[in-house]
Amino acid sequence: MTIDGYCALGRDREYDLTVTELLRAMDLTGVEQAVIAPIDRFLAVDNRAGNDFILQAARPYRSRLIPSCSANPWFGVKAVEELQRAFAEGARILVLHPFIQGYLANDELAWPLIDAAAFAQVPVYLHTGQPGNSTPWQIVDLADRFPSVDFIMGHCGATDFWNDVVHAAKAATNIYLESSLARPFNFASYIQEVGESKGIMGSFVPLNDLNFEWAQMREHLPLEKWRGVYGENLNRLLLKRGAL
Amino acid sequence: MIVDCHTHWGMCWQDRYRGDPSEWLVSLDRNGVSKAFLYGHANLHRSDLCKNDNNLLVQVAAKAPDRLIPVGTSWPQMEKESVKEVRRCIEQLGIRHLKFHPWLQGFSTADRYFGEICDVAGAHRVPIFFHDGTPAYSLSEQIAGLARRFPSTTFVLAHSGLLWGWRSAIEAARYPNVRLCLCGPSQRAIELVCERVDPDRLLWGSDYGFGFADSIGYRLGLFVRAKIKEDLKERILKINPLNLLK
Repeated sequence: MTIDGYCALGRDREYDLTVTELLRAMDLTGVEQAVIAPIDRFLAVDNRAGNDFILQAARPYRSRLIPSCSANPWFGVKAVEELQRAFAEGARILVLHPFIQGYLANDELAWPLIDAAAFAQVPVYLHTGQPGNSTPWQIVDLADRFPSVDFIMGHCGATDFWNDVVHAAKAATNIYLESSLARPFNFASYIQEVGESKGIMGSFVPLNDLNFEWAQMREHLPLEKWRGVYGENLNRLLLKRGAL
Repeated sequence: MIVDCHTHWGMCWQDRYRGDPSEWLVSLDRNGVSKAFLYGHANLHRSDLCKNDNNLLVQVAAKAPDRLIPVGTSWPQMEKESVKEVRRCIEQLGIRHLKFHPWLQGFSTADRYFGEICDVAGAHRVPIFFHDGTPAYSLSEQIAGLARRFPSTTFVLAHSGLLWGWRSAIEAARYPNVRLCLCGPSQRAIELVCERVDPDRLLWGSDYGFGFADSIGYRLGLFVRAKIKEDLKERILKINPLNLLK
């Protein structure tokens, strides 16, 4: 089982990725499934349009593409309602991007959204690494406050918070580390310290080349020995809501 | 030819190999890198080790003189001594490039003595590399502010804003005395920086040497795979860094 834990689908500013291109890249590398997420504009505003785009993109490829969803917590009750709708329509991960969406990762503003994720039994992926805004120890705060929720620390706090990653990941059982942008040679060292069960491979295509990222990671963490990182760990979190 | 504009003689390498860069150079050979700007590690980590590490970098580079270019530093908190150390690097050790890491070294770019250092560097036509992309002392905009205040000095943003600040680095490059080293942004961001910044002021680097991991292969891979015209790649990997050596 192989799953790419984070791919951004759509076109806007630095993003440019179609379903066809993503599937081609997955086939080339032998990646069976991929989490697809909205691009920045749809994380910040137009959440419903972004979620619908992702859900519709995934629908014909249910065995390959795993839809995520997002809402900006500044929209308040409407944000929660949008997430509930997206979960009901098939979204399997909540993506939060405190930097793009404009709050601190551990801000109470976002707690109602995390409650919604807890109720739906879906993991929460947080982009991290933006100084002061979304950092590893802020994710620990969330993990402590919401012990039933699985938190995926996107990018492992890269670049500046690499010092914090291992201790933060060890601080709570419900924190997982996602590799994209964290560089394979660094990510491998984190996983060797925190344990295989906490690692999730992600490429963040199209900001990176999916094939290159997977090839590089396999050099540092051979797939045969680290199967959990390449899909089984994420799959375990996703199955809490039921079969994909 | 490939010139890596961002490497370090890491403290772990010094502990193990005692000033001999032979093993350190193996990663360069494996990745086809001919030359490297060699920054320190100990001299950025501890002020009391700064002077010795500047000396050491010159000694290490002398063991591969066609390949390694030593890059010195000083600590502005040491006030007049820091300016004196910069002068010693340039006038006695023959160092032609400086590196500062305001975040790690813990000083503001507004520091009075650092201003004097910028003046000295400008007078000697010695470019200054900076860690950039990190608040509160190392934002690309803060380095751009230095470029504005010291127009005769060349400033190199050694990370091009890292992962989240590459747009800031592009803005910083409005100043003609700013260079960007592509060492930190994602592959897509590298492409966009290359589209928008004066092609004569772009460099590439790996940040190799802090630890034993080979970061050159990954960072060079990002660059090589980026959708950039081949002639621009050659300019970034070879021509521009060689111009920085003149």
